[in-house]
Amino acid sequence: MTANPAPSISIDSLTLAYPGKTVLDTVSLDIPRGKITVLAGPNGCGKSTLLRAIRRLHRPVSGRVMLEDIGVADLSEKALARHIGLLAQNPSAPEDMTVEELVRLGRYPHQTMLQRWDSQDTRALEAAMAGTGVTSLRDRPLGSLSGGQVQRVWIAMVLAQETEIVCLDEPVNHLDLAHQLDCLDLVRQLNAEFGRTVVLVLHDLNLAARYADQLVFMRDGGVAAYGTPDDLMTQDLIARVFNVDAMIITDPAYGRPLCLPLRTC
Amino acid sequence: MTVPRARSARQSFAVTIAGLSALLITAMLVSVTVGYRLYGLDQLYHAVFAFDGSETATVLVNLRLPRAILAPMVGAGLGVAGVLVQTLSRNRIASPDTLGLNAGASLAVVLASATLGITSLTGLSLVAALGALLTSMLVFAIAAGAGGISPIRIVLIGVTIAGLGQSVVQLILTSNEAQMQNLLFWLAGSFVDRPMALAINGLPFIAAGAAIAFALVRPLDALQADDATAVSLGVPVSLVRIGCFLAISLLSGAAVAMAGPVSFVGLVVPHAARRLAGQRHGPLMLAAALIGAIYTTLADVLARFVIYPVEAPVGAVTAVVGGLVLVLLLRGRAA
Amino acid sequence: MTPFLPALTATRAPLLLSIMTIATAVLALSGVAFGSSWIPIDRVAAVILGAGDKTQSLIVLQLRLPRVVIAILAGGGMAVAGFLLQKITRNSLASPGVLGVIDGGALGVVIFLAALSDKSNTLVTSIVFQPLAAMAGATLGIAAVFLLSGSQSVSAVRLLLFGIAVGAVAKALVMVMMLVGPIYRTSQAARWIAGAVNEVNWTEIQITALLLLPLLALALAVARKLPPADLDEISARSVGLDLPVFRLLVFAVAAALTAVSVAFVGAIGFVGLMAPHLARLIVGRSMVAGIIGSFLLGAFMLVGADLVVRVLFSPTEVPAGTVTAIIGAPYFLFLLMSKQRHDG
Repeated sequence: MTANPAPSISIDSLTLAYPGKTVLDTVSLDIPRGKITVLAGPNGCGKSTLLRAIRRLHRPVSGRVMLEDIGVADLSEKALARHIGLLAQNPSAPEDMTVEELVRLGRYPHQTMLQRWDSQDTRALEAAMAGTGVTSLRDRPLGSLSGGQVQRVWIAMVLAQETEIVCLDEPVNHLDLAHQLDCLDLVRQLNAEFGRTVVLVLHDLNLAARYADQLVFMRDGGVAAYGTPDDLMTQDLIARVFNVDAMIITDPAYGRPLCLPLRTC
Repeated sequence: MTVPRARSARQSFAVTIAGLSALLITAMLVSVTVGYRLYGLDQLYHAVFAFDGSETATVLVNLRLPRAILAPMVGAGLGVAGVLVQTLSRNRIASPDTLGLNAGASLAVVLASATLGITSLTGLSLVAALGALLTSMLVFAIAAGAGGISPIRIVLIGVTIAGLGQSVVQLILTSNEAQMQNLLFWLAGSFVDRPMALAINGLPFIAAGAAIAFALVRPLDALQADDATAVSLGVPVSLVRIGCFLAISLLSGAAVAMAGPVSFVGLVVPHAARRLAGQRHGPLMLAAALIGAIYTTLADVLARFVIYPVEAPVGAVTAVVGGLVLVLLLRGRAA
Repeated sequence: MTPFLPALTATRAPLLLSIMTIATAVLALSGVAFGSSWIPIDRVAAVILGAGDKTQSLIVLQLRLPRVVIAILAGGGMAVAGFLLQKITRNSLASPGVLGVIDGGALGVVIFLAALSDKSNTLVTSIVFQPLAAMAGATLGIAAVFLLSGSQSVSAVRLLLFGIAVGAVAKALVMVMMLVGPIYRTSQAARWIAGAVNEVNWTEIQITALLLLPLLALALAVARKLPPADLDEISARSVGLDLPVFRLLVFAVAAALTAVSVAFVGAIGFVGLMAPHLARLIVGRSMVAGIIGSFLLGAFMLVGADLVVRVLFSPTEVPAGTVTAIIGAPYFLFLLMSKQRHDG
């Protein structure tokens, strides 16, 4: 991973609408290569939609998403799946599916009708399971795992996809505090060790500030502000984006900005 | 460490398949020789390879042999169709019956012969497949219109559509009794008195359905996860769904054309197959085809004895078994 | 939805019920008037009041009136059973047809016919016991659904799935029993399963009426306790209702009502689903008005369905049950879809 000034993804005046409702309104944003970008904002601001639009799960009305010089719209499904992996919000798989069977699915875009499972696939499968620490669970059915374990397995599946970009849509929803930290530490480790570009949607502002290299605040289908957490975590901006009067302090352990919500405004 | 592991899994699966195949052949031989009258294997050999027109040979070749061949074809088709339906609806209690496909195919057959005068076996097989296809699309369209393909509701919708189809069939039959007498034969769900021509006519449909199903093995694996995940893995979800619909319709349409509605085979068999072959669709569907074939063949043999000396329809036998399995699945919260 | 609406409909309920009664009576009279020969309404009235010529009396009293009367009783009874089931399960999709009641009843009847016929295929016992057999089967059917579903019975759709499973087993057993039996039993049973109101005689009507009336009275009696049954178990107990016991009682009444209703006419699908639903829409949330309204609408529907098959398919006797199913199934799907939207 040599330093490359070109952004990994550039979003160019993207507009996206459901019938009767504009969800994203001319959004432009660069996702820096090899960094963790966190999308945050109040409910219904369009952060999940933006993530899904990056992965072309929604077709935009206008505007485009570029991977370097290729438009996301021009790639085939499988080619796109070799560039971007997505962990959906509340993903689901049969309870009696085993861990290994699920992680194997990550290799789907790398196979064709003629080219079956090969040593490259096996290597990626093992690396993904080892990297997320689920190797020992490989024959366990998903239904027998804890919520935190299941989330690790899903991350392993996305990892096995071996994409340079990984999108995660609220990966720590429904996890307890320990598993939240566990999961996000894992994401940061993958970012650091494998140089993956990560785009995260997170609800918890303080977690966002702690793990983000670039933080993006969204509101009403547009980008309200983006920059480093230190730049964005200001009393003024949080009042404007979240309608909350907050005190911003520096957390004594990690030196990251910490938002102490006081009241709605 | 992983290579020997994979090999041993593959070997044990090969043993499973070999065992199932042996069981299937045994079941078919039992089906030919055991019934109201018992025959020996030597008599079967003579009847097939040195047909002499004797009563024994005639019974064996014209009555017993067709059902010993039809039953496994129908069972294999329904077994694979069951796996497809369950994956497509992400619902472990779905089956061609609970989606109303059997009723839809039966209705199409009755309508076609009542209004269009179609009587040829090929024509009726086609019509049955078409009926199944339209029903499956109707059920999924209603479910999608209701705001998403929720597993349980799709079954309720399918069962209701099935009830509707049965009522219309009943209406046509009672208002058109003389003409319909010959069609009652389609609706009984049985292998009795089925000519060998049905098997020959059904074969291309079963083969085509199975070919589509096995071509979709890997996208189907990915489709077990939710839609967003499947799409992000690069699965052309809509295309795979259409292929699935086509395969399910061909398989269950052909099954109805050959035997009439044989209930709940497509519900029971995939569960057994999953226990033996796991979740991956290649081995899973292969196992489902074999288990379906064995199950249906043995159910057909059993149907000859449950109310001996009269024969019960095999559909009644599979319905009782299937209903009980459904209760067990519901209690075990498989769905 | 708006707060004053229940009060408004409550005051209107007597008026609405009167209109429904008149409509049902008019339809019933037309049911008697229509047929292979038209008999003017005034002649029908005359015959019923004891006048009229001999041919007309024969047609009216022996052929047409019985099927209309049984349609009123059976349709009404089933609708009330549906009302009770929908209330007590707090599930607008519940009905006798999907909770194993009708299939269980069918099994009871075929077993009764098969077990108690002698070699010459005549019943060794009185036909009076057929409703009792249906009742036993129906009760066992619904009991099986609830015992098997256990704690899952609180979930509306899961309960229906158990109903489907139990129904499938019962149906298959009925099929087998019909094959065991000779032609007489088969045709008796087949008529039963299709759900037809023709070929009913006055004896059967008397049996039905004698059993149905006390059950309807019982239904009205339990109606008073139905509102607190809307609550969860603990809240219901805190207002003084032992819900599990009460629930059993209501199930028993509903099962008995269904069984008696269908004992001679057979499985009439979907009346028990549609009628209570529409009744609640029309008369509002009052329990007593709901029960009376359900009875009237159920009667109206079955008399109407029978009239439709007589007018459209004459001279073939198409079972009225097919008409109710063809109208009822789309209605059920509609409910399913709109319920889904509400659930989110």
